[in-house]
Parts: sequence; structure tokens; C-alpha cells
Amino acid sequence: MVSLWTPVERFDVVIAGVGGQGTILASRIIGRAAVIAGLKVRGSELLGMSQRGGAVYSHVRFGTKVEAPIIPEGAAHILLSFEPAEGLRYLHYLSKNSLILVNTKPIIPQTVSSGLSKYPELEHILQHYRSYATTITLDATALAIQAGNPIATNSAMIGAMVGSGRFPLPAEVMLQAIEESVRKSLFDVNKKAFYLGFEKAKQLLESESKEAVAV
Amino acid sequence: MSLRSLSGRKEGEKVLLMGNEAIAWGAVEGGVAVAAGYPGTPSSEIIDSLAEVAGEHNIYVEWSTNEKVALEVALAASYCKLRSMTSMKHVGLNVAHDSFMTAAHIGARGGFVVVSCDDPGAWSSQNEQDNRYIAMQAYVPVFEPYTPDEAKKMMVYAFQYSEDYGQPVMLRSTTRVSHATSEVELGVVQKLERKPVWEKRPDLLVYDSAGARRNRVEMVKRFERIVREVDKVPFNKLMLVDGSKKGIVASGLAYGYVKEALNLLNLDDKVSLLKLGMTYPIPKGLIKNLLDSVEELLVVEELEPIAENLIKAYAADQGYKIRFHGKDLIPLIGELTTKPVVQALTKFLGVESPIDYDEVSRLSEAAARLPPTRPPVLCPGCPHRASYFSLKKVSTRVANNPKRFGLEQVFGESTSPIYPGDIGCYGLAYLPPFKAIDLAISMGGGLGFANGLAHIVKAPIVVSIGDSTFFHAGIPALINAVHHKARMVIVILDNDVTAMTGEQPTPGSAVNALGQPAPRVMLEDLARGCGVSYVQVVDPSDFKRSQEVLEEAMKVDGPAVVIFRRPCELVRTREQRRQGILPEPYMVNQAKCTKCMVCITSFGCPAIYKQGNLIQIDPTLCTGCGDCAQICPHDAFVQAKALVKTT
Repeated sequence: MVSLWTPVERFDVVIAGVGGQGTILASRIIGRAAVIAGLKVRGSELLGMSQRGGAVYSHVRFGTKVEAPIIPEGAAHILLSFEPAEGLRYLHYLSKNSLILVNTKPIIPQTVSSGLSKYPELEHILQHYRSYATTITLDATALAIQAGNPIATNSAMIGAMVGSGRFPLPAEVMLQAIEESVRKSLFDVNKKAFYLGFEKAKQLLESESKEAVAV
Repeated sequence: MSLRSLSGRKEGEKVLLMGNEAIAWGAVEGGVAVAAGYPGTPSSEIIDSLAEVAGEHNIYVEWSTNEKVALEVALAASYCKLRSMTSMKHVGLNVAHDSFMTAAHIGARGGFVVVSCDDPGAWSSQNEQDNRYIAMQAYVPVFEPYTPDEAKKMMVYAFQYSEDYGQPVMLRSTTRVSHATSEVELGVVQKLERKPVWEKRPDLLVYDSAGARRNRVEMVKRFERIVREVDKVPFNKLMLVDGSKKGIVASGLAYGYVKEALNLLNLDDKVSLLKLGMTYPIPKGLIKNLLDSVEELLVVEELEPIAENLIKAYAADQGYKIRFHGKDLIPLIGELTTKPVVQALTKFLGVESPIDYDEVSRLSEAAARLPPTRPPVLCPGCPHRASYFSLKKVSTRVANNPKRFGLEQVFGESTSPIYPGDIGCYGLAYLPPFKAIDLAISMGGGLGFANGLAHIVKAPIVVSIGDSTFFHAGIPALINAVHHKARMVIVILDNDVTAMTGEQPTPGSAVNALGQPAPRVMLEDLARGCGVSYVQVVDPSDFKRSQEVLEEAMKVDGPAVVIFRRPCELVRTREQRRQGILPEPYMVNQAKCTKCMVCITSFGCPAIYKQGNLIQIDPTLCTGCGDCAQICPHDAFVQAKALVKTT
């Protein structure tokens, strides 16, 4: 059952990625979890033309004070970037106190192949995130493959978000929402991916805080 | 979430729904019996969702040929005393406008709800348009929800309201309501089980001028009653704060942004606020109470200053001396977010913003410029890519040297083709590598535009239009081209579905909205029936035949129709996966590849990319369509299994 936590007034998650990566499903899972927890939910998605391989984002928000479907600029709590460079488009939604989670597996658009634009160096991309706010990087796609199917990338990302300790809803609620949202045959893979992401984020944050202590 | 999963859930239970699903479910709870629409972002999921539960709740649901037909289908049901609705995107109401205006004169006998999904920000549209104006023109009351949950409640209410006042009503949604999500509280599904009643009433339904005048009198009377009783509408809410000399009015979604902005400014419940859930007519009683207590008023709404002007007119009429703000502080263009509302409120209320937006921009702008441009593209295996490859090639060849084709009398020595286009996925062909759409203005508009061009320019005109768009609005322009001998090649891209909005069936599909078998209307029969002398059907993946046909079509003196027929690749591959057949991807035979780049610079399949010095195919994206193998001048693309065999 749902465990207790401090009542949330407003919690905002921006999800960035490329059409077809499952960002919409991820936002629905978070929204569904908040409904299970009895909270008000507001979300917004881009559907239609932008789904055809273009840059996409969705917003999902919950808490007693959320009213609008779009996150106020400069005030989001978490950015989930399903693709390394895509999240850079949405830093204006964040503040210094935000948490950024980045999937390091790039998707190279055709504009790069045809020479119309350049894909930046991964390190260069990550520097921008790190200079903005606390950043966790993980190859969520690899974790999903390890769990059994790359399609579970979104569960690995959600797992990492929960594992960071900065997300107010507990793991069991998130898993219940995942179970309600994915095909039955894929739940086990998603659950596994969720925990791989969860552990990865925990580990990364622990080693980081040890480093901080050592310094 | 499929609405099917809602059956058996209890009243009061909360579920997460998208706005359009909530609107559809509101119609189900409200006892809708007939629903018709035409797909268009951001409205499409309403009819899609209703189709899922049509059988269970005994609703007649259809994807009509266009919005005008859809509105007429719903009007007939309302006239026969059934509850009915139609849904469409904002520009769809332009198509339905003629019957919409008259429907308002006839009135509603069964509850009649017109759902208009506006698109502030023009995320998926050719314009920004505020359909509240169209409703006002027709004396149609407007409900404006601010969340999916409220949209559902309003739908239930709107059917009863329309019936009580005998007038059609509009539910005006926007992209950020239709494609937003929220918790939605489930209610009771009304089982009305009415029998349709046809009544012969030429005085009401036949437009001799006496009838038109009489109906207008009745319509205005109905509306006067609506105005008198407007303060009963439960979606308008006035929150007066003692001593607050500045007040805010917010309509629809703007209310959400105002609440968020006040919260960020630490001014929760400290400023008098009127929430408008109905913008037309305005709730005069509530507005009077507000005007009595404030000296300055800010009206916040998306797009046009409709509530603002109505309230200003009322205040002037009543002799209020109040300082008004609206579009002087709130953007007229684009969708609202919390930021412009915070900025407006800091000016209006004389308070500091808690967020330094200049600093936010300064810190984020450099990073936002880094990601590679990622425009939407035609999908891997999309038949439109093959069609445009041939269309571009042949039209350029003919235009460059008309003499070679015996067309120098028609096109002169050398010219460039003109490519009127239309609304659909294929609109993406305006981008590189094809650049073969020069205009896309409205449904069927490219074909109409070409009718004008044909008589005034000496260039090959190649019009492209999708199957669904052709059925919707292309036919009158085609007839016009035949009758006036307008020389053009009309390419109809027939992928069997309305692809861009989510693969809804067209009149040419073998199934209807509910997935039941339906008679197919064949495009070639239509074109021939309209009097077109040259009509050919070809599979665009047969590049050789496609180019031969296009060349022949260019020589026709008058309109020539080429139908490129091949199913949408998303539909085809999904159907194959369902049967357990997986795509067999192609790969590059590096021994043959000369890196000529034709596959990237002239064809542009997203599965093909250049890595270092090598051309590669991403096997997770490749659908195995094989088109690349035909356009490659060096036979370098082979199916992976074939390459394995030969090496």
C-alpha cells in the first residue's frame, strides 16, 4: 500500500527526448503514480507532427498547489533527459536546486549526417548540465537492455529518479503505476530496469558524496 | 488510457486522463448518442476514444469526410432529439462554418455540443485562431475548461444546458487542455435510450426568407434567456478578497496560470479573482460584484481579448470608472505560460518577481543552442519519400529542358516547377532534401491555388495532396481544373489513412472508425468521374513506373492525376509485427558504396546515416522497405540476409 510522506505542494518534472523514445509513457507513469497517491496531477504533452522523430518534451506535475499544465520557468524540480543533448533545450525550466538525470545514449539526427548541424561532444554536453545543477548521468538504454529489452529505457530513467532520493513518491507506488501502464508481458522487464536505474542512481550519489567528504 | 478500461469503475473514483479522453468520457456520461468529427490536431483523440466505447454505450460514432459533414451529422441527430456532438480542430470549424451558423438559428432539440480545439502557439496548425469569435457570431454559448477534469464535467453539463436552452453550445478546448493530463473524477453514465423523433418542420428547416427571419428572432430570444440566467453556470467562480482594490479575471486555461503565478508571488487568496468557465456570454452578476469592489482590473486570456472587450463594454454601459488592463500586459500572440502572467502581475500589482527571468535566460540560452536541429521527418519506409523522390526528379528534368519533352511551347526554354501542397505528413516534404512543397495553406487549398496559377504562369505545376485531404476538400478544386482546363499534375498520396493525426480511416479505407468493414471509395473512380482524362495508379516503390507515369502526366494539356498508392509504413509494420513478422533490415555493401551521398542528400531516410567516412543503416530504424536499394546508383544497399549469403 501507499506509504506516508510529507505532503507535496508542487513537484515538477520535465521530460526531454526524441519522438518515439517513450517520453509520453514516462510522463503518464509519473502522473498515474501521483493519482494513486491521491494527489492533484497536471501534465502536458506534445502530440501530432512533432512525434515524427522530432525533439519532444512533456511536463508532469503533482501536488496540492498545481493548477497549470505547463511548468513555470525557473521552478522545475527534475529534468529527465532521455537523450544527452535534448535536455539542453529546457534548462530554463530549472533552478540551481534542480536535479538533472541524463541518459548518455545519443540519437544522431539526420541533420548531422547530411552536414546541416553538428552533434556536440558528450563531455561538452554534460559540462553544461553540471554547471547548471546536480547531474546524474547513466546509460539507461544499456540498463534496459541488461534488463531484457531497450523498450524499458523509460523505466530505468524513472527508477534512477526515484533512486536519487529527490523524488517524493515511493518505489512501490511507481511500480504500481508502471504495472498499470505497460503491457503485462513487459512488466517484469520494466521492473528489473526500474531497479537497475534505482541502484545506479543511489550508487552514483553515494560515491559523489564520499568524494565530497574526501575533499 | 483506453476508455474501455473505465467500464465497471465506481463513481467518484479518480483516473488519469488526457483532455481529449476526458472530453469523450464526459460525452459518454452526458448520454451522447451520436458523435462525428474529422481528425485534426489537437482534437483527434476525442472521436478515437469514443469509437473505442461506441458499442458498449450504444453511440453512433463516425469519422466524417470533413468537418462540415460531421457537423451536419450531429445536427440531424440533435434535431431528432438525440444528444449529439461534433469535434474538430479550430480551422475545421471554418469548413463547417456555413452549417454551424444555420444550426444556431435552428437551435438544439437534443443537447448539441460543438467541441472546438484551438491551437494557441500553432503547434500543429496553419494559423492561430480564436474560435470564441465564431461562437459569438452565431449566438452560441462558450464553455472554456482549464483542466481535463473540468472539461469532462463541462461536457456532461453542456448537453443538459444545450437542451434546456434549445441552443447549440461550444466547448472550446486548446492544445494545453486537449493534450494535457489530469486526474478525472468519474461520474455516472446517463442511460437515456431515447428514440429519435423526426418531425416535418419546413418552417424551421427550409430557408425561405420568411423562415430565416423568424428563426433569427427565435435564436435571439433563446440567447436573451441564456444571458438572463448566466449566473447559474457553476463553472464561473468569484473569489472576492476584502480590501483588494485590484482584481483579476481569467478565462479557461488562463485561470491555471494565474493561480500558479499568484502562488509563486506568495499572493494566494490575496487578490480578488474571477474564474470564467463560460466566456460568452459573460456572467454579468459576478462581474458586477467584482467591479463594485475594485478600482483596477486585469483580464487574462489566451489569444484574443474577448472577455476583456465584453467586460469593458459592460462596465462602460453601467458607468463604472475602472482602469482596465488586458492585452496591454498579456501577450496577444502565442500560448500563455506562467512566466508572462507573473511578469504581467508584477507590473499590475507592483510586486517583485520571485524568479529572475533574465538570469534564467542568460544561464540557459547558450546550452539551448547546442543540440543539433531535429525537425520532424518522414518516417523510415514512408511511401511519401519514394513519391517525392520521383516527383522531384521528373518535374525538375522536364522544367530544365522542356524542349526534350516537346513542351517548349508550353513551358518555354527552361523554368522551375511550382509545388502547391497541402495539409498532412507529406507537408514535411517542404524541408530538405525534397523542398517540393511551396505552399500549404488550408485543406485542399493547394489544389485551389494551382487552379489560379495554371492560367497565369508558364511553369510545370505539380500539386500534392493526401488521400484524406483530397476526400475532404480536393474534389471541388479538381472539378474546377477539369472544367477550366487548368494544366497541372495532381499527385494524390494514398496511404489508406489520415496518417498525421493517428492513422484514422478515410473514405478510401476498407474499415470505418469502429474498425468494421466499410465500402471503399476509390480515388481513381472519383478522378475519372470528375472528368479527368489521365488517371494512373502506381506504387511509389516502383520507381521506374512512377517516373514514366509522371512524365506522361506532365505532357497532358489539362489536369492529370497520378495516385501513389501504398499503405502508411507505420500501419504496415505494426500489422506485420502483430502477425509475428519482423522487418528484415537492409545494410550497406561497403565494397560497392562510393559515398556519392545520394541516399542522404536526395532521399533522406532517417535510418541511413554517415559515420566517419562510411554510410550505414541503423537496423533498429530500418523497416526493410527496400526503397534505398532502388535509388542507389551503385547497388550498395542489400538486405542483411542476402549480404550474409553472398559473402
